[in-house]
Amino acid sequence: MSIEARKQALKYLFSQVAEPLGYRLTTNDWLLNFCLEQEAKNEEKLGIPYCPCQMLTRDREHDMKLVCPCIPFHRKHYDAMKRCWCGLFVHKDVVDESKLRQIPAKEV
Amino acid sequence: MKKVKMYTLSYCPWCMKTKEFFRENKIPFEFVDYDLVSEEEQEKIQDEIQKLGGDGGFPFVIIDRSVIQGYNPEEYAKALGLKK
Repeated sequence: MSIEARKQALKYLFSQVAEPLGYRLTTNDWLLNFCLEQEAKNEEKLGIPYCPCQMLTRDREHDMKLVCPCIPFHRKHYDAMKRCWCGLFVHKDVVDESKLRQIPAKEV
Repeated sequence: MKKVKMYTLSYCPWCMKTKEFFRENKIPFEFVDYDLVSEEEQEKIQDEIQKLGGDGGFPFVIIDRSVIQGYNPEEYAKALGLKK
């Protein structure tokens, strides 16, 4: 499967997983395409669509919490930011996502 | 001139934006793309980030003694003493 086809498949799968968690995909087309592409490439290289914005350590327990969509493992943090760390997912309550910022977990 | 160092990923959108911010403001900076260095070097970076209070989210920016995790142009400008 090409990277482009896998991006579209991940987009569909991710939206299905995120929706019941209260999140939707970003409306920022550049960010959406960029993140999906990096995740499709991570999947091709590493076998898993890891988050493209967080540190992989080769510790399986740690790294599995960074498989996209990683919302369930970072619920308190992401609910406070109203987005995931990458911004690929945005809380459904948010009207203007351009105002959302990355906030370190220790600050929420 | 304040010393700027950052840890980034070569494929992270917000790391790209962060580098853009410093380039646009003509602020020299050093960066290390975590995913492009050896496993040994990655372990050293993990330790350093942890000691500085980071939790693994990139970008991780150090401006002199200020540590800013995440893409945050307002905080970068504040730490650099840039006028808005």
